[in-house]
Amino acid sequence: MFSTHAHDPDLHFSEKLRYLPWGFVFVVMLLSLFGVAMLYSAGGASWKPWAATQLYRVIPGLLLMLAIGLVDIRFWYRWSFLLYASALLLLVAVVAIGHTGMGAKRWIRMGIFVLQPSAYMKVVLAMVLAKYFHQLTYEQIGNPLRLFTPAGLVLVPAALILIEPNLGMATLLVLFSAAVFFLAGVRWWIFGLLGVGVPFAAQQAWKHLHDYQKQRLLTFINPEQDPLGSGYNIIQSKIALGSGGLFGKGFGMGTQSQLNFLPEKHTDFIFVVLAEEMGLMGAVLLLVLFFILIAYGYVISLNCRHQFGRLLGLGLTTSFFLYVLTNVAMVTGLIPVVGIPLPLVSYGGSVMLAFYIACGLLLSIAIHKDARLDGSAPQ
Amino acid sequence: MSGLRPQFSPDNTHPAFSYGLNAPQAFAAARAQAAALPVLEEARKRLLCVAMGFLACFLLISGRLFDVMIFNPDAERSSSSSTLPAHVSRADIVDRNGELLATTLQLASLAADPAYVLDEKETLTKLKTVFPDLDVAALSKDMHSGKRFVWVKHSLTPRQQEQVNRLGLPGLSFQNEERRIYPKGGLTAHIIGYNSVDQQGLAGIEHSLNKRLTESQDSLPLSVDIRLQSLMHEALLDGMHKFDAIGGAGLIMDVETGEILALVSLPDFDPNNPTQASDSARFNRATLGAYEMGSTFKIFTISQALEKGVITLADQFDCRKPLKFGRFEIHDFHPENRYLTVPEIFVYSSNIGAAQIIERVDGKDQKKYLGSLGLLDPSPIELSEVTKPLVPDVWRDINKVTIAYGHGLSVSAVQLASAAASVINGGRLVKPTLLRRDHAPTDMPVVLSSNTSAAMRGLMRAVVLDGTGKSAEVKGYLVGGKTGTADKSAGGGYNRKSRLASFIAAYPIHRPRYLVFAMIDEPKGNKGSHGYATGGWVAAPVVAKVIGESAPLLRVAPVDENDPLIMERLRLPGMIGGAKKQAAANAQ
Repeated sequence: MFSTHAHDPDLHFSEKLRYLPWGFVFVVMLLSLFGVAMLYSAGGASWKPWAATQLYRVIPGLLLMLAIGLVDIRFWYRWSFLLYASALLLLVAVVAIGHTGMGAKRWIRMGIFVLQPSAYMKVVLAMVLAKYFHQLTYEQIGNPLRLFTPAGLVLVPAALILIEPNLGMATLLVLFSAAVFFLAGVRWWIFGLLGVGVPFAAQQAWKHLHDYQKQRLLTFINPEQDPLGSGYNIIQSKIALGSGGLFGKGFGMGTQSQLNFLPEKHTDFIFVVLAEEMGLMGAVLLLVLFFILIAYGYVISLNCRHQFGRLLGLGLTTSFFLYVLTNVAMVTGLIPVVGIPLPLVSYGGSVMLAFYIACGLLLSIAIHKDARLDGSAPQ
Repeated sequence: MSGLRPQFSPDNTHPAFSYGLNAPQAFAAARAQAAALPVLEEARKRLLCVAMGFLACFLLISGRLFDVMIFNPDAERSSSSSTLPAHVSRADIVDRNGELLATTLQLASLAADPAYVLDEKETLTKLKTVFPDLDVAALSKDMHSGKRFVWVKHSLTPRQQEQVNRLGLPGLSFQNEERRIYPKGGLTAHIIGYNSVDQQGLAGIEHSLNKRLTESQDSLPLSVDIRLQSLMHEALLDGMHKFDAIGGAGLIMDVETGEILALVSLPDFDPNNPTQASDSARFNRATLGAYEMGSTFKIFTISQALEKGVITLADQFDCRKPLKFGRFEIHDFHPENRYLTVPEIFVYSSNIGAAQIIERVDGKDQKKYLGSLGLLDPSPIELSEVTKPLVPDVWRDINKVTIAYGHGLSVSAVQLASAAASVINGGRLVKPTLLRRDHAPTDMPVVLSSNTSAAMRGLMRAVVLDGTGKSAEVKGYLVGGKTGTADKSAGGGYNRKSRLASFIAAYPIHRPRYLVFAMIDEPKGNKGSHGYATGGWVAAPVVAKVIGESAPLLRVAPVDENDPLIMERLRLPGMIGGAKKQAAANAQ
């Protein structure tokens, strides 16, 4: 796999290939193929309409991941802010365009489109946060005034995503950023203060809301209140999960998913198709694959010798983890349906691409773990 | 994975806060940099924290998965029965007299498991004898798709089910299904709504009261009277056809209790087959459509001005020429070109007069008053298809003036009706409901004094006796009302060709009990109306028809219009034309 000895950051191509964590690449590939197989089944044992398209995305996606991995980490370090700015610009554009067409249909169509910049945003946000904290000493991180810039870097895109509206994605963005802040060494008392202050402020604000505003917020947070919308999904999803049992009904035999009782079965609810057809065993197998992927991500991060790579790796891995957690919690009815896909498995274009980019960056961190980055705080 | 040993290295470019997991090395390194020791400890602590958090979350979702997949009580594990949605039995919906409006029937549906079908050709041929319209080719394709469950036919009649049983074919099975039946069809479509195939409410009462209908088996009585619903429907349809209109809406409301006895929106659709309906047919014009209502809003303008004491009925206003307001010019539709008293402004529906009256009222007070009548918030009626009124963002003077005669504020028919009912019933706020109430609510907030309410009843009577609403008169039932003709706004401006003609009335007006509202969407004038397509010509006759036919059903006895007691109740000072007419009537 890769060496524990420090190696020269200016690597030859062949050296880079040698340092590439092929195990990680293998797990990503396995998860992607798992997804294609499930889409084949969800499409009624057919390559159409999803499996073939997905396969055409997986192959270039994997290649893109490798390409990004082979690019020097210093390149990504240098261009972090520019990439972030471009993602922010895209987000603003989507929000602005979304507001000109308020007709219901266009709104929904926009809803599919808006996912694009927000998925990309999560990757570049991890990059800028990592770069920002890389440039600070531990003492400087202890200074609360230093936290205004990174807080702004997080809250501006989160607010834009929130008004798209995509509560799930915005929450995920804030949560994984919080993890980066935490791992970067932001002091405990700040988290304590937020932990007490935010719920208290929310409670105070709640008191001053009108009833109809409260109602609107509640439907926003929990669309299940509307039995036509996602409440229906959850009922069907639970039936499918329960009918899967220990070993499932067999590939292509899931009646819930085959008979179209299950909406969004190819995207957010793909996990349910798997669980119905392959049972608890299949579901646990997939979770174990994700567990390996995430553990791999952490180990790559910990092996990295520069703060940028370490924080970026931890941030990206955390966001992966949050996606998996949210998606599975959502389809099993633990939390409201918030429209978060299962990484690498759910059908989708731009979201898939964002995950491959994230994996590519992890590869780059693994290969260039000994790179010397400028801009780190003087000791 | 053994090669993945995390390490700490002394040449780390960022020793300030790093994650050395290899304790001896880390310790050595840390000793070299004494200051870094607590930092290192901290970093490891934090990493451990996050890792523990993740592990806990993984365990949590695994546990949940186990719970849902293995102990799930909701789902059966046998292969075919689990394909059906959870068994839901819904309560019936009935009208106020117990007439059935929605009920659930148990029906069998036929499915096949191709693995157990012995002879496909024989099976299909025999099934074709029971179901002559069966698409054999499509079914045959389905049977070869590799699936173990194929629908053959939904919702069999008991006779068909018996015939299939007699065929004795293996591989076929019946699935029990529930079907919602709406015996009144389109007549109640916009009230009851409809369900999805698996019996979840998708629209109307079925949607808004989905919980009540699934949780209790007791039938749900509505406030609606199907007889009144039927005659409202017929009169409205008639009016719509006569004026070649695109739609219409109408309702009958009890002004004491707020109960809605009839609520019609046209065009409508068959709720037994809702997927065939067009978007326009599914649109509830009575509750979901927000319209600028036009002159019916003068009810609120004049009632407020009277209540605040800024005008008296005897006051006169100069209505000789159009009123300039900034770059706008306010015209009258029925110009009298003279000084008009307050009752005349109402009776001849003078916009110029209404604009001058509202100039004596503060914009904030106007907004507050309209809000107190429920015109600025969505109607509380028990339907999900309810519009939010379109209220101007900033309440400028120009908004105040145009709203005085019903432009620049869009509300639904049911909001308008509830607000008007509150004005004429003695001034108590009416909360509209589709559920049967046996008594008037005791806690109706007071929005208007009874004196002002009485004056408004007199004014509305005068409109029918003498003004724009003459064709709403029904002898003996003392109709009082107000016409409304609004140009529909289109693309930033108003379209004089597409109008909304409405009439709001109550009877018997001296002691009002029932409010009747009719609205015709985009009527075209015809010969009978001398080319007019106004509220008075188009909607008032619909209301008259409904009142004439509904009064006997509602047991409203006709009265003598010249009874001095009634005359006294409806007396109006300052009504020149009306006074003359009433005097003439008295003399007879």
